[in-house]
Amino acid sequence: MHVVALYWRVIVGGGAVDLELTAIAVAVSVVVGVLAAIGRVYGGKLLGGFIAVYVEIIRGLPPILQLFIIYFGLSQFQINLPSFSAGLLWLILYGTGYAVEIFRAGIEAVSVGQREAADALGLTRAQALRRVILPQAWMVMLPSLMTFLVLQVKNTTLLYLVGIADIMYQARLGTSATEQPAIMYGMAAIAYLIINLTLSRIGSTLERRQALYR
Amino acid sequence: MRRLAARRAVRTKRGVMSTLQLWGQYLPQFLAGLVVSLQLTGAALVLALALGTLLVLARTGRIRVLAAIATGYVEVFRAVPVLVLLFTAYYSLAQMGLRLPGFWAGVVALGAFYGALYGEDMRSGLQSVDPGQREAAVALGLSNGTVMRRVVLPQAFLAFLPPGTNELSNLIKDTSLVLTIGVTDLMFQANAAAAATFQPMDMFLLAGLVYFAFYILLSRILARWELNVQRRRS
Repeated sequence: MHVVALYWRVIVGGGAVDLELTAIAVAVSVVVGVLAAIGRVYGGKLLGGFIAVYVEIIRGLPPILQLFIIYFGLSQFQINLPSFSAGLLWLILYGTGYAVEIFRAGIEAVSVGQREAADALGLTRAQALRRVILPQAWMVMLPSLMTFLVLQVKNTTLLYLVGIADIMYQARLGTSATEQPAIMYGMAAIAYLIINLTLSRIGSTLERRQALYR
Repeated sequence: MRRLAARRAVRTKRGVMSTLQLWGQYLPQFLAGLVVSLQLTGAALVLALALGTLLVLARTGRIRVLAAIATGYVEVFRAVPVLVLLFTAYYSLAQMGLRLPGFWAGVVALGAFYGALYGEDMRSGLQSVDPGQREAAVALGLSNGTVMRRVVLPQAFLAFLPPGTNELSNLIKDTSLVLTIGVTDLMFQANAAAAATFQPMDMFLLAGLVYFAFYILLSRILARWELNVQRRRS
């Protein structure tokens, strides 16, 4: 058991890296995702179609392949991104693809009557979005946003492949040093469990609180 | 630790022709990889559906302990990344004396994870059936088995299909993770070709095309199937 005593700090350090990357990536992709979702719904054929194709590509390709295209593929054109930037860029690009769909579903879930009523009251389109549609869409989206957060935490496991020192990276390093994969990957599993179960707990609390305002 | 990933390109000579030539040269290898990916998907899907069925039976059954275990299983396995499960199945089990070949470690890890997801999807499918339907069937004098088989399950299946097919396309994408334990799937072949040719973008793009073509094909087929099932039921 002294392996646990020796390595738990390192694993926690890896967890901090994972959380940092997730937080930055989710924050950016939520902002870009809202704008892109508005573009997708109201942007007309060209912009809407472009965003739809982007979403399909992000959803159609395996995550690991997307990451390798950014980290290894771009090096063919002499673009050598550092590990951290490449990992973060991928998390943002991937996350935006998912965030667009979540926000689009949210916007479309608000009934057309609401938008028409806002129109009839003389609100501009921007006002209607900000005051009427997005606040209602927010409630519909909350559960999927928490799922999205958990998904991104899980996606950070791939980043060890490009050399980011996350939980997985530390667990692999620890495994080759101690030859105790069961303990090392067990610790990694517990670390992810704690992070993700906490996130989904927060999510269901928020959901309940939002439901009270309905 | 073994270095898995392709080395980055050092210098390149570019040209569309050379890319196409490379693609032609490596396509057979990539398709062989795709076959492995599909076998993995098929085996993992069977395991996941079986496990999901067991989980939903346990969760809706009368035995409290089993229901609690099944609920705990779903909660835990949904929260752990597939890659951790994969390494556990491949390395940790080996340490404990159960040495699985890479392919089967992949099947076990993916099956265990998607089993939890399917268990959850099946349960919400069952819950979506209006209790009135069951009551009406009982009132008409149908036996319990008939109620389940002719009334409840067909409707639950309809609700299960959209998340179920969505999970299937995620499963196919997740098979690419077995690259990390050296199973020669499509992603592995792409990675090997990228390292051998020093043209990583060309090779990963080809892999992307193969994956994407398959993804589009499969999602069209599944969407059509869903539509057919819905039409037949209504």
